[in-house]
Amino acid sequence: MATDAPHPAFEGYASEPVPQAAVGAPGKVGQLELAFRVAADGESYLARDLARVPFHVSGTLDHDPHPDATTVFVQSPTGGIAQGDRHTVEITVGTDAVASVTTQSATKVLSMKCNYAAADVSLSVAAGGHLDYVPEPTILNPDARYCQDVTLDLDAGASAIVGDVVVPGRLARGERFDFERFVSRFEVRGEDGLLAADATHLDPADGDPTAPGVLGECAVYGTLYVLAPDEDCESLADEIHGRVAGGPATAGATTLPNDAGVVVRALGHESEPVTETLHAARDESRQAVLGVPAPEVRKN
Amino acid sequence: MSDDTTLAAFRLADTALPVGTDSVSYGLEQFIASDRVGDSDDLRALLSTYLTEQLGPGDLVALRVAHAAASEGDCAGVVAADQRLQAVTLSAEFRESAERTGERLLDLQRDLRSDDLLDEYADAIDAGAAAGNYPVVLGTIAGREGVGVREACLLACHEFVSALLGAAQRLMRLGSTAVQRVLDDLRPVMIEAVEASAERALAAMTPFAPLIEISSAVHERADRRLFLS
Repeated sequence: MATDAPHPAFEGYASEPVPQAAVGAPGKVGQLELAFRVAADGESYLARDLARVPFHVSGTLDHDPHPDATTVFVQSPTGGIAQGDRHTVEITVGTDAVASVTTQSATKVLSMKCNYAAADVSLSVAAGGHLDYVPEPTILNPDARYCQDVTLDLDAGASAIVGDVVVPGRLARGERFDFERFVSRFEVRGEDGLLAADATHLDPADGDPTAPGVLGECAVYGTLYVLAPDEDCESLADEIHGRVAGGPATAGATTLPNDAGVVVRALGHESEPVTETLHAARDESRQAVLGVPAPEVRKN
Repeated sequence: MSDDTTLAAFRLADTALPVGTDSVSYGLEQFIASDRVGDSDDLRALLSTYLTEQLGPGDLVALRVAHAAASEGDCAGVVAADQRLQAVTLSAEFRESAERTGERLLDLQRDLRSDDLLDEYADAIDAGAAAGNYPVVLGTIAGREGVGVREACLLACHEFVSALLGAAQRLMRLGSTAVQRVLDDLRPVMIEAVEASAERALAAMTPFAPLIEISSAVHERADRRLFLS
């Protein structure tokens, strides 16, 4: 019996055998490791990369407005995340390196009849370094069961921007909250321990995600965490809030606990208003933290 | 519970407890200002969300852990609950409200009783090792007073809903009977929230109410406001 359930609510699923390729079989265990360092000329580069299916990395891009930054678009040759998939992602940013990591397109979590899918993402940024980790939205198909854990370790003087957008179904097909279960956890740790933690556990059959005060009439839910312990977080929160309030999404910014930075929440009826709003927040944050705007969007 | 602990529980649940819970609305003021809450039905629905999405999976879990630790005389356990609740409370105004009311409740209790654990906890707060969040302070005091953990959780729900109903009464047209009706109607939701909080570890706190957080973020910057949050 599988005992690797990442959350108690997933233990029942874990014991269900997967009729296609089994849990742990080739292709079911995606692995991505990216390590960024600074070269002698001050430019950041991808020092090490390991990508096992369904992750694929075909090199770095150099379009970031920051003169020394480098960017990786993580690609996937598959249609999406299937039952029994276990993914691990490990991204390390070395001292003074500046890197951005995103995905080429939305991550689709496919319908499931048994077991579940999980992703474990570990991010770390060394002193003076900066990481943007802003994957495209996660789309939860009907009956999907998905658990994602993102942890971020920050050394003193490091900063990061982490984004997460969840779409509760293929909205154009009329699917809304037809997935079975979604758990998403984010934790950021500094040198003195836990700075902030955020967790979402959506089980639409048990609790209505569209209740007043939760998502209301909105469907798409996005968060941008701006971890910048060295910044004046209150004024940064005010600047970001001014930029996102009154925009296309219902949004707001507030300071994170333990002076860790700022969190931005954005809700919308579809993906675009939420991703646009978070992009604006990312732009504002990068100007404060790195002194450069967010890179232009090259996808779409 | 003995008569003595029952009376201790009544005192802690009293809206006249001078800890400033009449100055917080946890985002409700903004919901009313933006016409998202206009009558007692809207109010009941939103208060249900606070109970099931914020207190049940968040505050009450920390309260339980603090209660258990305080009953054992374990100040480190109380501080751990406080730190975790602080880390998962992402809304700045919520932290400010919980810290202010928590600090006043702890000061009040220390004026009434001499208790080494409360002194040790207050020292940890002064040293910056803990924030002194209200649910953790309440759990700690309830544990020291011998109030059972389930009663302490119910008390926290009752106190929270009463405080927000008091705020609502000052912000919108709402009669005293309507207030009592909402409080009465929410009983099963309070019980459900208390049950949902049981058996959860500190690391499994998952408060999730994005619209309440966004409402609070807007409230932070509102020009005219009556309440701290």
